Amino acid sequence: MERVKEPFIHITKREPMPWWKGLCIRVGAVLIALIISAIFISASSPRGRGFFDYFASLFSGAFGTERRFWLFLQNTALLLCVALALVVAFKLKFWNLGGNGQVLMGCLACAMCMYYLGGKWSDGAVGLLMFVVSVAAGAIWAVIPAIFKAFFNTNESLFTLMMNYIAMYLVAYFIAVWYPNGTGAMPPLTDANLPTFGSGQAGRSLPVILAAVIVTAFIYCYLRFTKHGYEVSLVGESKNSARYAGINVKKVIIRTLVLSGALCGLVGFLLVGSVNHMVSTSMDGNMGFTGIMVAWLGKFNPLIMAGVSLFINFLSRGMAQVCTDFGFTSEALSDIVIGLIYFFFIGCEFFIVYKVHFNFRGRHGREAPRFSMTAEDEAEQPSSGPPLSEAPPEEGTGRAADALSTPVEGGTVCAPAPIGAEPSPAEAVKKRRRSKEEEN
Amino acid sequence: MDVFFANAISFGVIFLFGCVGEILTEKSGHLNLGIPGIMCMGAAGGCFGVKLVAMGESPNGVLVVIMGILFAMIFAGALGAVYGFLTVSLRSNQNVTGLACTIFGVGFTSFFLNNVVLTEGVSTALSYAGLNFFNAHIPGTENLGWFGTIFLRQGVLAYLAIVIAVIAAVVLRYTKAGLNLRAVGENPATADAVGINVTGYKYTFIVAGAAIAGLGGLCYVMGYMNGIVGSTVDQTIQGIGWLSIALVIFTLWKPALAIVGSIVFGILYILSSRITGISFEQIQLLNLIPYIVTILVLIVTSILGRREMQPPASLGLSYFREDR
Repeated sequence: MERVKEPFIHITKREPMPWWKGLCIRVGAVLIALIISAIFISASSPRGRGFFDYFASLFSGAFGTERRFWLFLQNTALLLCVALALVVAFKLKFWNLGGNGQVLMGCLACAMCMYYLGGKWSDGAVGLLMFVVSVAAGAIWAVIPAIFKAFFNTNESLFTLMMNYIAMYLVAYFIAVWYPNGTGAMPPLTDANLPTFGSGQAGRSLPVILAAVIVTAFIYCYLRFTKHGYEVSLVGESKNSARYAGINVKKVIIRTLVLSGALCGLVGFLLVGSVNHMVSTSMDGNMGFTGIMVAWLGKFNPLIMAGVSLFINFLSRGMAQVCTDFGFTSEALSDIVIGLIYFFFIGCEFFIVYKVHFNFRGRHGREAPRFSMTAEDEAEQPSSGPPLSEAPPEEGTGRAADALSTPVEGGTVCAPAPIGAEPSPAEAVKKRRRSKEEEN
Repeated sequence: MDVFFANAISFGVIFLFGCVGEILTEKSGHLNLGIPGIMCMGAAGGCFGVKLVAMGESPNGVLVVIMGILFAMIFAGALGAVYGFLTVSLRSNQNVTGLACTIFGVGFTSFFLNNVVLTEGVSTALSYAGLNFFNAHIPGTENLGWFGTIFLRQGVLAYLAIVIAVIAAVVLRYTKAGLNLRAVGENPATADAVGINVTGYKYTFIVAGAAIAGLGGLCYVMGYMNGIVGSTVDQTIQGIGWLSIALVIFTLWKPALAIVGSIVFGILYILSSRITGISFEQIQLLNLIPYIVTILVLIVTSILGRREMQPPASLGLSYFREDR
């Protein structure tokens, strides 16, 4: 009698899970990550702050004062815009890792208008030109990789990454030309700033937030209700089917990336025109990468993405406060915690899609495997039983179905359903368990 | 001029570590965009390891170097293992996981260097006694002309990089393990059917690749920068990391070609800081060159589109045995 070695862990695909269950798993994963970070940070705090102070600091950093609250909303709005810009590209399976560069080019174009024309033209005219030029700059920065992707299938993720650095050094170049004092810093420009709604942080943040709301609504409708949006998801699913359906794939790639880059350019316009009034090489704030995480964790759905970007900004602003309160000198702590949360969030997807079975009995060397095999696995591991479609097995009954419904050496094998009525994996597992119990 | 080329090599080997690490990872079918973060982790771990043994009165040079290398590999390998667990066992999207690794690794390094390694009031320089051990020269090579200056007066990590690249090339090309690894990267289902341990190969080479890439971070801090840890070290290594990933395409997934490619990139990268008599803004434009060259290479290889210039067939796809 041959002993079958069953793997200890067996993984199957799950039935689609109800949305609330999936949400519970995700929230649980994030909570675990937060608690781990809280334990580590409160244990290593130079000022001896405790576990619960951590959460208090988190909330105080994001919502503590009115100013912090508006800044929190403003950063969320900017991040959401970048994520929405990237999501149209991702729907196309175009890995646009160049969000940083596209935002920076928008910033640079906007700052150029302000530097050369501010004070010479009326603010309204410069403002309009700033908008047009920034959006165009972002679009150009995205469309260059798109053209090569469409015509030559050039690797777009590395191409866009390199474009980030080109944008960064171009910004450094122009700052060096404009302010040749060698510091590489630029003072805020006073002319041609975008209008605010009244004074205070609320008035400064509102235009940005308003823009984000409009962009969210636009992208939601664009992806969901327009022909363009449909073409984008079709090309993303399968280029060949799209081509077969008469869609010009090259045109869709280029058109979509123009939109993606234009939205990033818009963020640059808001960053320079409305928020900072100057440009620096790190003005993108790494939003191109964070935006990718937002788009991915938000399942490419603009409304969920809004929630995710709220959460990520809550963390990054909260962590800044934690750093101050707990006595850490480096702001990079927030990147660590956010990275940890990404790991847990990415990892927990597995438990939503797959189911893990532990084969405890197999480990103790029992003869009968707990998980009998489906027909396909049979064919792969001939030692566990007679193969399905080959010559009649030795029992002499001949047909595979008969052979499989009877207990055979090495374990129980359940009868496969007739072809065409194949059970889903979960049902199959249940069925196998049942047949196992009956046998016992 | 000799010194310029010597510097180019000592910078290029940083790319070489990252590139060879990424080649090994990609050969197993995993595109690790976490290499920049992993290289940063290597820098953090290396500084930590050096600090452990170099603080005393007369540190042992060999021990300092070994501890630096060991801890760089442990830290980088740990992040590589996290990436491997998420993408191999949990079958997450490789691009997203890699970016998360980069965000985590860069943040961790910046935090760790500031709060653990550079304490005691030292903010910009690791002024330990044992730092020059990484750049100790072979005795008796002072007066051997240009050949000696360029090739014989490098630090220990430069030679290590070349040795690792040659070993990687031999392993990939001539050993059974290399053949199996390539099979896993091309078509894991077929490799699995033949009886190759797909998961084992993926984990082994992802972690090994990460550990090798981590040495790149160590090499930047201890070899090229001579132990000086600036405030933007994490950003610089991140940029080097992205270029290393691009270099993999440039070198057509061949570690032996990577030796040449990384030295070319080293020349391009340090060009802007070595040419004298140009203005500050012109330096910024010279900084663009490696990135523009990378883009041109990407375009040219994609236009030529030959079969031997293609990545492993299953690169970027997760493998689930029961998906048919």
